[in-house]
Amino acid sequence: MKNKLIISCLLALGLMGCTESFLDITPETNLSSVTFFKTQADFEQAVNACYVPLRTIYNDRSWLLSEMHSDNTYYARNTAFGATEQQEDLADFSIPVSNGLTTNTHVLNQYRQDFLIIARANQVLALIDKADFDATVKANLKGQAQFLRGFAYFELYRYFNKAPLQLTPVTTREAAAAPLGQAADLEKIIIGDLTAAAGSLKSKATQEPGRATSGAAKTVLANLYIIKKDWPSAEKLLREVVGDGGYSLIPDYNNVFSTSTGNKNNSESVFEVQFQEGSNGYNGTFMYNFLPRPMIESELKTLSGTSNPQPQTGEGNNIPTPNVIAAYEEGDLRKSASVGYITCSTTLWEGKTYPIIKKFMKTHALNGNHGMNWPVYRYSEVLLFLAEALNEQGKTSEAATYMNLVRKRAGLPETTAKDQASFRDALMKERRVELAFENKRWHDLVRTDTYKAVITAYGAEIKANPFSYYYQKGYTLRSNSFSVIEKYYPMPADEAALNPNITK
Amino acid sequence: MKNKINYFEKKSRTVKLLATFVLFFCSLAFAQGQTLQGKVSSSTGEPLASATISVVGTTRGTLSDASGSFKIDLKKNETIRISSVGYTTKNVIYNGQSNLNIVLDSDDKTLNEVVVVGYGSTSKKELTGAVQTIGYKELKDLPVTQIGQKLQGQLAGVQINQTTGQPGKGMNIRIRGQLSVSAGSEPLYVVDGFPITGSIGAMNPDEIDDISILKDAASTSLYGSRAANGVVMITTKKGKGSGTNVSFNTYTGVQQVPFKGRVQMMDAVEFAQFKKEFYEDAKQPVPAEFQNPSQYAGKNNDWYDALIQKNAPITSYNLTITSNKEKSRTSLVAGVLDQKGAVINTDYKRYSLRLNSAYDLSDKVTIGFNVAPQLTYDNTPRTDGDRSNGILFNAMHTWPIMPIYEADGTTLTKFNKFPASTGNIWAYANWVRSAQEITNETTTTNLLTNGYIEYEILKGLKFKSSINGEILRTKYFFFNPSTATNALNTPTPTTAVSIRQNIENLSWLNENTLTYNRTFNEDHKLELLGGYTTQYFRQESTNIQADTYSDDRLPTIQGAININRGATNSGVQEWSLISFLARANYNYKGKYLINAAIRRDGSSRFGLNNRWGTFPSVGIGWVISDEDFMKDLPVVSFMKLRGSIGEIGNNNIGNYTQYALINNTVNGVFGNTVAPGAAVSTLANPNLGWEKTRQLDLGLDLNLWNDRVNFTYDYYLKNTTNLLYSVQIAQESGFGNFNDNIGEIKFWGHEFSVNTKNTVGAVKWSTNANISFNRNVVVALAPGIDRVYGTFHITKVGYPVGQFYGFISQGMYKNQADVDASPKVPGRSFPGTIKLFDANGDGVITNGGNFDDRVIMGNPFPDFIYGITNNVTYKNWDFNIIGSGSYGNQLLVRHIYSTANLDGPFNLLKEVANRWRSESNPGLGKYGTTVGGGNVTGIERDWINSRFVADASFFTIKNITLGYTFTKPSKVYKSLRVYASCQQAYIFTNYWGGQNPEVSSQGNGQGDGGNLSPGIDFSSFPVPRTFTVGANFNF
Repeated sequence: MKNKLIISCLLALGLMGCTESFLDITPETNLSSVTFFKTQADFEQAVNACYVPLRTIYNDRSWLLSEMHSDNTYYARNTAFGATEQQEDLADFSIPVSNGLTTNTHVLNQYRQDFLIIARANQVLALIDKADFDATVKANLKGQAQFLRGFAYFELYRYFNKAPLQLTPVTTREAAAAPLGQAADLEKIIIGDLTAAAGSLKSKATQEPGRATSGAAKTVLANLYIIKKDWPSAEKLLREVVGDGGYSLIPDYNNVFSTSTGNKNNSESVFEVQFQEGSNGYNGTFMYNFLPRPMIESELKTLSGTSNPQPQTGEGNNIPTPNVIAAYEEGDLRKSASVGYITCSTTLWEGKTYPIIKKFMKTHALNGNHGMNWPVYRYSEVLLFLAEALNEQGKTSEAATYMNLVRKRAGLPETTAKDQASFRDALMKERRVELAFENKRWHDLVRTDTYKAVITAYGAEIKANPFSYYYQKGYTLRSNSFSVIEKYYPMPADEAALNPNITK
Repeated sequence: MKNKINYFEKKSRTVKLLATFVLFFCSLAFAQGQTLQGKVSSSTGEPLASATISVVGTTRGTLSDASGSFKIDLKKNETIRISSVGYTTKNVIYNGQSNLNIVLDSDDKTLNEVVVVGYGSTSKKELTGAVQTIGYKELKDLPVTQIGQKLQGQLAGVQINQTTGQPGKGMNIRIRGQLSVSAGSEPLYVVDGFPITGSIGAMNPDEIDDISILKDAASTSLYGSRAANGVVMITTKKGKGSGTNVSFNTYTGVQQVPFKGRVQMMDAVEFAQFKKEFYEDAKQPVPAEFQNPSQYAGKNNDWYDALIQKNAPITSYNLTITSNKEKSRTSLVAGVLDQKGAVINTDYKRYSLRLNSAYDLSDKVTIGFNVAPQLTYDNTPRTDGDRSNGILFNAMHTWPIMPIYEADGTTLTKFNKFPASTGNIWAYANWVRSAQEITNETTTTNLLTNGYIEYEILKGLKFKSSINGEILRTKYFFFNPSTATNALNTPTPTTAVSIRQNIENLSWLNENTLTYNRTFNEDHKLELLGGYTTQYFRQESTNIQADTYSDDRLPTIQGAININRGATNSGVQEWSLISFLARANYNYKGKYLINAAIRRDGSSRFGLNNRWGTFPSVGIGWVISDEDFMKDLPVVSFMKLRGSIGEIGNNNIGNYTQYALINNTVNGVFGNTVAPGAAVSTLANPNLGWEKTRQLDLGLDLNLWNDRVNFTYDYYLKNTTNLLYSVQIAQESGFGNFNDNIGEIKFWGHEFSVNTKNTVGAVKWSTNANISFNRNVVVALAPGIDRVYGTFHITKVGYPVGQFYGFISQGMYKNQADVDASPKVPGRSFPGTIKLFDANGDGVITNGGNFDDRVIMGNPFPDFIYGITNNVTYKNWDFNIIGSGSYGNQLLVRHIYSTANLDGPFNLLKEVANRWRSESNPGLGKYGTTVGGGNVTGIERDWINSRFVADASFFTIKNITLGYTFTKPSKVYKSLRVYASCQQAYIFTNYWGGQNPEVSSQGNGQGDGGNLSPGIDFSSFPVPRTFTVGANFNF
């Protein structure tokens, strides 16, 4: 009897032979951070991921916050379609603001996507020095992470002029909400990151096409100095870019912009957001975002060239304004390359024929899916920046040589502006048409402090003649339009709820 | 690489376990015999296992084995007492015979009913916890296809909603209102002791013998970290009676969707009239199509009705064979179900088999094997959900002037027939075509197996070891040809899409328990249990999505021009669990009861720092009616007070939530080349653990007038803490959320149930009624966070979870003076537009942000739920009626953002005809002016407001059955019962938003349908009324 008891107990114990390791189950379909961030390949992948939010930013947000929020483009009101106030509030300068915060979702998403870049770059920068691999490769990878973090902070600086300072990877709940940095703090980060990046990145000649280059880092940094009106620093950097040798103007403005599959990262490109046509999810849809609507299949096909065009419903956005179209000088070759026209037979707007942004209307194979890159900085802007930096330092005649390179390509005669003030005006006009629809306009109005006067006049123009701004006869603007014309965007309310430092 | 090794290690462990099992099996040859042999059986000849045989006046005693046999040493003239749960106790004086056959009469008193509890069974009398059972008697006569349907209305404290009429789906079971912020809220289902990992929706209800619902901590704590949502114990049919019994049950019927409750939409003439007025009010020319609404008289197209299958057939066959031999018991249930759904082209089939067998190898050793293979086939159009998915919703608001068929009356139309100039800006598909042409089929094969060995080591000491296995394979195939679509605004031809999904689940459980069962000095009854269990689960899945087919007839993968890389993937999910458990039950004279239980769980799901959890409970009971002082109160036949307290857990938190995962598909593109990218996608939390629920239960059982009236009351109080919650964090971290254990929800409630035998003569009439009041309140969320918003909901500290959140509608602005004098939406408020309540009093109506004017505007939870069942028998007739109800719950009628869209792109609710048209013609005050376009009219449909909230109280007569039994044996059968039945007979409700007040949104692509966003009605598959006739044969 006793024996049986003992045997049973032993058996029971035997069954309990499973050890604690039975509970060690790690995910099979994902790597975890414990095992990642060790090798060169790990860091290459981590750096590649830092670029990814740029696709979202340039496909979905930048044009709303920088172009349609200016006198260059407007929406094409579809009175049969509601739930459009988020983008209309941007175009109409009527975003809701309270306590320096806004509920506008586009503002929120821009903010979040920039911080996604920053967080990914922080992860790389915190660990890359500890990893052991080829120093040249490492410098180039580190430079890209620094460039992207600097660029993301530059965006926040331009939109909000302040932002939380998050420079290390977050690992706990408590560390997520960082202290708020003011403009000077952000400038310090941007200058630090971009200066370092300019030193360690490869030049355009040797860098893999599409990645950040030393020239790109210098251009972004020069842009910051121009905003700060630190003209000598800007001039120095821009001269280095011009002297880099990797950049030149493409003779025909029509050929400057990438197609769905080709002409990417060309000789004029300083930095482009990369898209790839196809069903892998790396495509753009911005061309469709810029269509007047409703539009039937046959009309779309004339623009997209796809075999399976689908009718487009809803409300059209980013439609060139009569105002920007009028800004082109007589004989400017860029006008027909930048602005086209399309007739939408089913729209309720009696005008029926809308202008469209032709430079981004390229044919492609799949409906709603294209691969055009987005030009963030082009060499022509480097030339115009340099002209501006020189003119502001009184070197107007040298400045004219750079601006005239751009004008010549556009089929226009040399500038007639001789004195600093008239050259300044001519340069801003030049920028407006050369860089039309490339998300520059709002930032130019802000940095030159002309935004209030220009936008107020623009608002009055629309109110006086809503029909020419695509309103159906009998309809007009919402009563709160053009009531909030502010230099910087208010901070997103949803983030303020999660980080109380933002409102401090 | 490391992962792989882990997997193989686990495999080899399985082998080790099996080897141990076999070794143990061999050691049983040592079993020995005693002097007196006896056998205990019931009056029907069924052997009674586990009957207690005690020698009166001594401490000696034994238990009968599975064949009813026992052996005991006795002296002459000693008295032995034989007792068994569910039977009357018998005393026998031993007079030297060597063989003794004892027949026990069954005890009709419900008190002695066997109640299956975790790792054992007890009697209702000795129970200290809150456990409710439904036996075969109550279950057998309902011709329904799902177990959940059988339970509706019959259990106090258990809310069972049929959220959709899709065959085999949608039974939503919540015990005591339990819910969690983000962990699962379904109870744990335990089939014959095996906590299954799949759902029970597809299980053949005819395989079931009885069901126990464990509600309080004392009853559930032996399931430890998985018990917080309650436990549903399902016991399948075992060999019973003597010899071989064969029975055959069949029913056939038709399912119909009643007209009552359908959403009242405009007909063709009314719609054309609306459109005409729309243009007139806007002072625009009326398109030719609407100038003469009467032209559509008699040409109405009811798209919703076109999707309803009239008289959908349903047929079921079940064959049950039980065999009870001296040393073996087997039972077999084979079932076939063939059902067409209430929506066209719905097809559901189930083939199931269950074989349970047990063999007595010796007096001390019993082994058993159960196998239950099952195959289900299900093809359902995508009926439920919002615009992007639900064809019922889409059909409902399709213009009734759009023809369903071409002029020939048989060919389905291709859309669109009306130009955009008529306001037809959302492309419709032909939904009948969608239902007919889209394939959406799931084939499931499931195999549950179980093997065990039971060995009585010493008198009263038993060892049991079991291996359970579950294999579940799901094959899903979806094909959307270019001619059809589920979604609104997707014109045909669409891009043809196919989805193929294969999921394979494997789960095994090894359990080893020692039980010791002894009665000392007649009065002290002791039961001890100790156990050790290990469980492992692995799921592998493959998804392939392909699109752009050159030919709709060939939906193969290779037939597609494009493989959708983003949606094509493979996955693995794994978890493991090690547990130690122990329980002690003691009672003195069956009068003072105490039980204590504890389980310790180690789980792979939890953070490395928090891997083990302990779950204790204590229950006590006092049978007051057994006290002497109660003898003077003969009206009370039984009275028991019980109470329990304990802590249990919820580990339904996903498998890898504690790890910081790398997402290695964050790829970059440079030039035209894809470059692999990887980013940290979640934050690690090594402290992550299970949710804890502390539960107190106080109960009273009271039987009066010789058990003619049985009354049960329970009060419970639960505090769920450490809620698994994906806390929102500032996104400048690069992450949206952090998985943490945070916050607290308090639940409490009262449950009453009463069973009465109203008449006991020739007419036997009994009633079973129950009512429960369940409440919850959020005590705390995360530090610094006191609310969580959903699209239509708010969960806020101090309020119940998932409250409807929006604006309070105050009708329409009467005129310009009203607009000027009232709070308004800047630029969007005009005479005739919706006037919303300015909750913060700042004069401006604001949606979201710091000046938000939204408030809590409704509650999806009922004030109380109730059920009532009446059963009448007279001679050979039987009649049964079951009702189930809910009171005070509200639903958010989501579809009116389309069906009351004043811009006229969709068909509208009939009552929209009576909208605001001018100051002198303001209509019902419910719907505003159509003038002004989307930015003006959009507020009343896009800014969720109280007009969306509807009372959804209901009382449903779930089932009425009338049967007649032929008791005189014929040549063919021993007995035969024939019956007619009506399921879902009638719904009493004022709910106007749809056909099913039990609906709750299923996932619909808008972040809803989770625990924090209950009670949304888009429009779901209607629950049909089913008429059946059936026959039960006994051979």
